[in-house]
Amino acid sequence: MRVPATTTAPGDARPPGGGAPRRRRHRSSDLRIALLYLAPAGLVLAAMLAYPLYQLGVISLFDYGQAQASGGAPLDFVGLDNYARLLGEPRFWTVLVQTCVFAAVCVVGSLAVGIGLAVLASRVRVVPRMALFLAALGAWATPAVAGSTVWLFLFDQDFGLVNEVLAGIGLAGMENFSWTYDRYVAFGLVAAQVVWCSFPFVMITVYAGIRSIPADVLEAAALDGASPWRTLRGVIIPMLRGLLVVATIQSIIWDFKVFTQIYVMTNGGGVAGRNLVLNVYAYQEAFAASNYGLGAAIGVVMTGILLLITLGYLRAQRGTEES
Amino acid sequence: MAAFGGTDTRARKLRWSLLNTLVVVYALVPVLWIMSLSFKTPATLNDGNFIPREWTLENYRSILSTTEFLRALLNSIGIALIATAIAVVLGTMAAYAIARLQFPGKRLLVGVSLLIAMFPQISLVSPLFEIERTLGLFDTWPGLILPYITFSLPLAIYTLSAFFREIPWELEKAAKMDGATPGQAFLKVIAPLAAPGVFTTAILVFIFCWNDFLFALTLTSTERSRTVPVALSFFTGDSQFQDPTGSISAAAVVITVPIIVAVLFFQRRIVAGLTSGAVKG
Repeated sequence: MRVPATTTAPGDARPPGGGAPRRRRHRSSDLRIALLYLAPAGLVLAAMLAYPLYQLGVISLFDYGQAQASGGAPLDFVGLDNYARLLGEPRFWTVLVQTCVFAAVCVVGSLAVGIGLAVLASRVRVVPRMALFLAALGAWATPAVAGSTVWLFLFDQDFGLVNEVLAGIGLAGMENFSWTYDRYVAFGLVAAQVVWCSFPFVMITVYAGIRSIPADVLEAAALDGASPWRTLRGVIIPMLRGLLVVATIQSIIWDFKVFTQIYVMTNGGGVAGRNLVLNVYAYQEAFAASNYGLGAAIGVVMTGILLLITLGYLRAQRGTEES
Repeated sequence: MAAFGGTDTRARKLRWSLLNTLVVVYALVPVLWIMSLSFKTPATLNDGNFIPREWTLENYRSILSTTEFLRALLNSIGIALIATAIAVVLGTMAAYAIARLQFPGKRLLVGVSLLIAMFPQISLVSPLFEIERTLGLFDTWPGLILPYITFSLPLAIYTLSAFFREIPWELEKAAKMDGATPGQAFLKVIAPLAAPGVFTTAILVFIFCWNDFLFALTLTSTERSRTVPVALSFFTGDSQFQDPTGSISAAAVVITVPIIVAVLFFQRRIVAGLTSGAVKG
């Protein structure tokens, strides 16, 4: 399931004019109450997030394998060796490039499908619009594991509907075509599934944005004889720029972190790990190969990359707020 | 809203409805296909027919008769419910502070919750695995409930504070002036106004917990706490001679359909929850 990440402080609307002196008077007591209300959530986050994060950094500096995890062998501090090993590993770079290209394809796909459908939904009557939304919400709510399984079965070599239909329309060679064997075909299939479960969020967000465009603007465009495509490019996209930037960066962050689909659909990263992305790579190193140190190093690298994207997101956000 | 893009000609209308149909097919066919597979007999499983030629409930009977699946279902429901309840209570308290109180560092708080929402969960899996094994939480309900609370809190706080901002809090004061006690003012005036937002948040958090795969895969090892998504990925059928496709399909339907039905039932609220912040951007 994909959900919006926090954008701006929802409660941050400051009282208009003359609020400042009152605020100053209340500040000290407000702070005490606020701390009281925030404490439980803060405690959970500190224990479950801050401390493990610290642990992650520590593990990545040790030679931490099966022997150490089971408690017997002493810990061996290796400094930055895990990182050096990782950066010297050709596979890491392959996986990194794969992750970026895969995420880019998924992002472009979900944005194109999501925006297109939002425009479609704003143009059709009530009943087809309801059908669109119900279908989209169904895809959105399907658990990732179930969704991945469904897509696998749909494209199955023996009993898949897709091969059956393709063979039925005369493509005889497609009858026993394997969609999960070839590296790029397999990535394409997983990307189609990821787009399937992530376009609904883009669609719902952008549709709400289109609804917020004043009707007379769109009417004026219609009166001037603009085609839907022209209206989209000339009116909707410029007016919803901030919204689209947010949706894009959120999609980048999600699709960079895809785990379940790759894990389930390519059976843990494909034949000989050809379909690995960083997330699954970290999992395989840590849990399948018991290289917890190396797995942690990959985790640190991923956290760093996502941190950079997030900072870009915050800057884009600030830009939107100002305009 | 006015339709844009000029007057609708018949051909254009046809094109739009064709496109519309295609999209609905793209979104719906996978779900319908798995339902179809789940009702097929082993003999007709490979026939590629969209509508089963022989209907059977055998797949459902077989998964519901294994403790493996029933236990996973119980784990999924219990863990998701408890995690949702705790996350919503903690989230409500924090969201109340953010929506109603002025205090320094509020923007920092927003930055922190943003970071949590962006955080790659995989990074926390190894350290959590270590910590939980030391504390004896590995492969227990709390061992999953805790990370679920952690990663759903930003979502809960965010959605709730967006809803809370819309509540006319002056009503509380008005009720007190009319002689209501603080407790009464809260229960009779504020609680009914806040309930829809809390409810929406609870649905979103529940779906998040219910759908999780990564934590359930790494932080459990036995039936004791394994949830359905992981059990599903381990499914092999009753014996090695039996094709598990039918059972997997039935299990996928069991975990998917209730969620889809709930989402469709509450779709208005969920759409409101998903767009509450994004549009204001």
